[in-house]
Amino acid sequence: MTIESTTKDLNLENLLKEIPFLIENLREARETYLTDAVLLGEIPAPTFGEEERIRLAIDRFRENGLDDPEIDEFGNASGILPGTVGSSSILVMAHADSVFNAETRHVLNVGSDFMTGPGIADNAIGMAAVVGLPKLLNQLGIKLKDDLLLLINTKSLGRANLEGARGFLETKQRPIRAGICVEGAEQGRLSYSGLGALRGEITLILPGNYDWNSFGASGAITHLTRLVNQVMEIPVPKEPKTKMTFGEIHSGSSFNTSPKSGMLRFEITSEGDEVINEMEKQVLEICEQFSLETGTKVELEVVARRANCGIPFSHPLVKSTRRIMNETGIIPKVDPSTGDLNVIIRAGHPGVTLGLTTAENLREQNETIHLEPLYSGMAQLITLLQAIDQGICE
Amino acid sequence: MTSNNQDWLDKNTFHHGEFWDILKLVEEKEKKGLSISLCIPTLNEEKTIGKEVLILRSELMERYPLVDEFAVIDSGSSDKTLEVASNFGADVYLSSDILQEVGDKRGKGENLWKAIHQLKGDIICYVDADISNIHPRFVYGLVAPLIRRDEVSYVKAFYDRPLNYSSGLRSSGGGRVTEILIRPLFSLFYPELTNIVQPLSGEYAARREVLETIPFPIGYGVETSHLLDLYEKFGIETFAQTDLDRRVHRNQTTNALGKMSFGILQTFFNRLHAQGKIDQIPSLETFYRRFEVEDGAYSQIVQEVIEEERPPMMEIEGYQNRKAGK
Ligand SMILES: Nc1nc2c(ncn2[C@@H]2O[C@H](COP(=O)(O)OP(=O)(O)O)[C@@H](O)[C@H]2O)c(=O)[nH]1
Ligand SMILES: [Mg+2]
Repeated sequence: MTIESTTKDLNLENLLKEIPFLIENLREARETYLTDAVLLGEIPAPTFGEEERIRLAIDRFRENGLDDPEIDEFGNASGILPGTVGSSSILVMAHADSVFNAETRHVLNVGSDFMTGPGIADNAIGMAAVVGLPKLLNQLGIKLKDDLLLLINTKSLGRANLEGARGFLETKQRPIRAGICVEGAEQGRLSYSGLGALRGEITLILPGNYDWNSFGASGAITHLTRLVNQVMEIPVPKEPKTKMTFGEIHSGSSFNTSPKSGMLRFEITSEGDEVINEMEKQVLEICEQFSLETGTKVELEVVARRANCGIPFSHPLVKSTRRIMNETGIIPKVDPSTGDLNVIIRAGHPGVTLGLTTAENLREQNETIHLEPLYSGMAQLITLLQAIDQGICE
Repeated sequence: MTSNNQDWLDKNTFHHGEFWDILKLVEEKEKKGLSISLCIPTLNEEKTIGKEVLILRSELMERYPLVDEFAVIDSGSSDKTLEVASNFGADVYLSSDILQEVGDKRGKGENLWKAIHQLKGDIICYVDADISNIHPRFVYGLVAPLIRRDEVSYVKAFYDRPLNYSSGLRSSGGGRVTEILIRPLFSLFYPELTNIVQPLSGEYAARREVLETIPFPIGYGVETSHLLDLYEKFGIETFAQTDLDRRVHRNQTTNALGKMSFGILQTFFNRLHAQGKIDQIPSLETFYRRFEVEDGAYSQIVQEVIEEERPPMMEIEGYQNRKAGK
C-alpha cells in the first residue's frame, strides 16, 4: 500500500467520524431545504416547460448565497460557489422537470415526518438539496477547496433525452473533477454507470387511399396490436442483462370509429450495446415487413440512443461512496442509471447518482417522501462532496 | 365621494410585488422599533398547518427576521394540528388557556381576541390556517403598509379568487357572501367601505393600539365588525389593502355560507343601531332556520348562532396588568 493511499484512507475515516453530528446538524437545518422543496415543487415543470421553476431556482440560489447564478441557452439554472483554491470544480446537479403536466394541481402537504404531492420525490427535494447547498455548507462551517458548480438542469425526462444536461456540459468548459446527480429517491441507490438504452416511437398510419374492402383490412388499433405482438416475439437475452418495455400506446378517440393512426413508445435497455443494435434492427425489419403486408405506413423513430458507459465498481469514487453510505446507515444497491449521469460520464468525468430518501407512490399525485431518512441522505451527499474535494475519490 | 374613493384606492391599495425586498422591510421595521407577531388561528387544520409554519417561519424568521413571534392559537382541535405545528417550531397555545379568568367561548373571533393578550408584537398579523398555496407574501404583503405608513393601522388582504376552474370564470371581487351580502349592505350604509375588495378575508395585519380598543364578536362577525368599528373611529384612511394574488382554500357549502351570513347580519344590525344609523332594532332571533328535503318530505333545521361579543381587550384587567408589567 502506498503512503498516498493510506493518507486518503485516514482522511476518509476522519470524515466518516463526523457523520453522526452531520446528520443531527442537517436535521436542525431542515427548514432551509424543506421550504425550497415546497416552493420549487409547487411550480409545475413538465419537460420542456420548466421556465418558471428555473426562474425560482435562480432566486433561491441567490438567496442561499450564490453571487451570480445564470440561466443558459438550454434553460438550465447554474451557479458557482467559489472554493478556497478553485483550481477545479465539483458538479452537483438535479433535474428540474417532472412527469406531471401543467394542469396537475401542484400542491404539497407537509406532515411531521413526511411530505406529499406530485413530484416531491422526483425531483423537488433533489433540487432543494442542490439549491440549498451554499447555505447549508455555510451553516455547517464547511469550506471546499474546489469550486462548487451547482446545476438545476432542464429537459431530462422522456423525449427530452437529457438535452439540458448535455447542452450544459458541452458549453461549460471547466475542469470538472467529478459529478453528483441528486435524486429524491430511492435512498441507497448507487449509480455509477449509464445503462445502454434505446427509446423508439413507432407510428402507424393508414394512407388516404387505404382499401377498407381488401382482405384483413382494419383500423389502426388492430394493426398496432398485431405489430406489438410481432415485436414481442423478438428474443430478449438474459445475458447481457436486457429489458424491453412497452411504455405508451395511443390510438383512437371514441367507441365506434376505427382510428386511422396509432403510436407506440418502447424502450430497450441492455448492458450489451451490440444487443441493443441487434434488437433495433429486428424491430425495424418487423416494421418494414408489416408495412408491406398491410398497406399501412409504419415508421420507427429512434428518439434516444445511449451506449453503455461508466466507471468500474473498484473506482475510488464508487468505493468511497459505498463506505459513506454504510457509515450513514444506508444500504447501497447498485442500479445503473438511464438519467443525467450518462451525460457526466460520457463527457469523461467520473460521477455517481445518489437518492436522498425513501419514497412511496412515485409518479402519482400522492407521491410521498419520508423525512427521517432524509437527514442521513443529505449527510451522505455532503460527506461525499467533502471526500471528492479532499481528493479521496481519485 | 367618487373622487375620494378613487384617491383612497390609488393611495392605499397595494400589490405584494411592491414589497418583495424583505430585507429592506426588516431594516425599516427595526428603524421604527416595531415588533411583529404572526398568529395562525386553528381548528383541525393538520393537513395545511405544517406547510404554513414551515414556510413562514423559515422565510420570515430564520432567513429574514421580519416576524418576531410566531404563534399558532388553537380552538380545541381533535386532530394533530398542534403536534405538527410545534414540530415545525411554532409556539402553540390553546385559546382556552389564555386569560382563563374570562372563560372560554367557541369561535374564531374568540381565538383572535385572545391572541391580543398572548402575543407581544406592536403589529399582529392574522393568517388563516387553511391556505394550501401558502407563501411569504401572505405576511409581508400585509405588514409592509403598516411599516411604511404611520397613518395606516389595518391592512386587509384581497385575492384573485379562482371561482370556477373548468369554465375559466373569474370574479373580480370577493366570495359569495361578500358579493351577495356585504357589498349590498356597505353600499346602503357605508359606501366608502365598498372600496375594500374582500372585507371578509381572514388575512389581515393591524396595530395593537387599534386592536385593543375594539370589541370582538366571537364568531362569524369578527371581520365585519373590525371594519365598521375602525371606520367609525378613524375613517377610511386608517385602512389599506394588498393584492396577494391567488389564494387556494377549501370551498364552503351554501348552507355554511347561509349560517355565516346570519351571524354577520346580527353583528351588522347591532352596529347600525349603536352608530345611530337606524333608530331601533327589535331583539334579534338567534336561531338560523333552513330546510332539508328527504324523500319528498320537508323538514326544518334549526341551529343557534349567537354572535356574542368580547369587550375591547383594553378593558380586561388581566391585560391591563400584563401591559403594566405586573
Ligand atoms: N370555524 C372556525 N374556525 C376557527 C376556529 N378557531 C380557529 N379557526 C380557524 O379560523 C380560520 C378560518 O376558518 P374557516 O372556517 O375556514 O373560515 P373561512 O376561511 O372564512 O371560510 C381557519 O384557520 C380555522 O382553522 C373556530 O372556532 N371556528
Ligand atoms: Mg378558510
